[in-house]
Amino acid sequence: MHGQAVVVGVGESEYYKHGRSPDTEFQLACTAIKNAAEDAGLELRQLDGLISYMDDRNSPLRIAAALGFDELSWSATPWAGGGNNSSATLQFADAAVCGGYANYVVGFRSLAQGQFYRLGAGTGVASGGGPPGLGWGLPYGLMTPAQECALHTKRWMHDHGVSQEALANISLACYANAQLNPRAVRYGQALTREDYHASRWIVEPFHLFDCCQENDGAAALIVTTPERAKDLPGKAVPILATAQGLGPEIGANAFQERWFPGMYYGNVGRMIWERAGVKPEDIDVLQLYENFTGPVVMALCEMGYCEPEEVEAFTGDGALEGPNARLPFNTSGGNLAEAYIHGLEMVVEAVRQSRGDSTCQVDDVNLSLAVGGPGYAPGSAVLFGPAS
Amino acid sequence: MTRYLGDEFLTPTLTEQNTPFFTSGRIQIQFCDDCDHAQQPPDDVCYSCQGTNLAFRATPGTGSVESAVLVHHPIHPALQERVPYVVVVVSVDGAPGCNVTGNVVGCPPESVEIGARVRAVFEEAKDPATGQDLLIPQWELVQD
Repeated sequence: MHGQAVVVGVGESEYYKHGRSPDTEFQLACTAIKNAAEDAGLELRQLDGLISYMDDRNSPLRIAAALGFDELSWSATPWAGGGNNSSATLQFADAAVCGGYANYVVGFRSLAQGQFYRLGAGTGVASGGGPPGLGWGLPYGLMTPAQECALHTKRWMHDHGVSQEALANISLACYANAQLNPRAVRYGQALTREDYHASRWIVEPFHLFDCCQENDGAAALIVTTPERAKDLPGKAVPILATAQGLGPEIGANAFQERWFPGMYYGNVGRMIWERAGVKPEDIDVLQLYENFTGPVVMALCEMGYCEPEEVEAFTGDGALEGPNARLPFNTSGGNLAEAYIHGLEMVVEAVRQSRGDSTCQVDDVNLSLAVGGPGYAPGSAVLFGPAS
Repeated sequence: MTRYLGDEFLTPTLTEQNTPFFTSGRIQIQFCDDCDHAQQPPDDVCYSCQGTNLAFRATPGTGSVESAVLVHHPIHPALQERVPYVVVVVSVDGAPGCNVTGNVVGCPPESVEIGARVRAVFEEAKDPATGQDLLIPQWELVQD
């Protein structure tokens, strides 16, 4: 169920607050891909595959031309949603190189929300865009992913007796880990539990610090076969397993009774554990996409880390903070505190952990897992083994 | 009745599939005439039997609050004076498995609790594109 593909290069642009990038979104994409090629020891012309996600505005045709690819032989995007597809880019890359359709495939994501619109501002929905299910909420002022995820989270907390502290634990872990990461947009901005509770409500139960940032920046990863990787100078990180998918009817309506409340991550968890032959407790370090903290605690439970009634204790007492945490988690600061590059920056961090390059490096990493955004389907995950 | 979020607030973009819900003055849900499966939002195919004999049926217009959140951040300029407002998910009586979204009107927003019984009321508006009359479903608490 898994190929033998490896990640041989990662690259990023600088990460900015939204609207602060001096570069266009296309320039950011090209920068991240150039940096990834340099990291891999590849010439740009050797790259021959491109994968992004969620209606990427940076066409593979334009990138291949601008970066001087000799040939583009594979391009794809997983179906839309949002950061749910971050890890799926690696599955497509794995499939492409293991199937022999391309040699060096790039997964990338670039966002310049100053140049374009802010996802969280509801702009797309107000102009008639956005997911069809969300359009039904428009006359009711239900226009943003935060509001949609809040409706799930509120009911889930109600059903399982989960307090606000569980959500706070996620936010505090991301901010604590970002203080070790100079690339993080929130570096130097430590967050206390008091700050968290004092921050304004966006939509209950989400305070400001329960919500991801919106940022400008780009990230890229390059995937190839182990045979080709032998000729490259750097470390190769094996893709042990990937998952992408959804259960029956999940895609139809965010609020239908069958899946309400929930984040639809049971399927993704089952696929990744079965394909890799491992259990949640075997994972050495976890990057779990946070659009908002609520979906994170729900996804932890759905993927089998703990029961909902246990999630406050499971995440509490610093259990997710720092390299020596009980469960090292979102070690770069994640979407909340490093940067929101639609979660692809978290896949880059998962590779860094396997290579031993993180600013919050966990000892002896054998299994490094990156999970795409809970809250939207189809979800995705990718599991990396130790670098060689 | 005047609109909960103001008469100037955004109206739904009418489509063939949402017109019954937003114009009829009833809680209209799509059912499959072959297998009686109910689905929301409507689609071109029945998700239970894959048939295409689909039609809208009026439900009794009552339901239960499945979730309720207070929105504090005004996402649209017209909402500056309206926050905090309450957004709910309501399970529709007579349409198994179907949840719809809305506001609960006529009460303090913080008083809406999960499990509350509600009944439909309708806001009058006009579709700015066509001038068509809209009756936008909303909900009010049913007093015990």
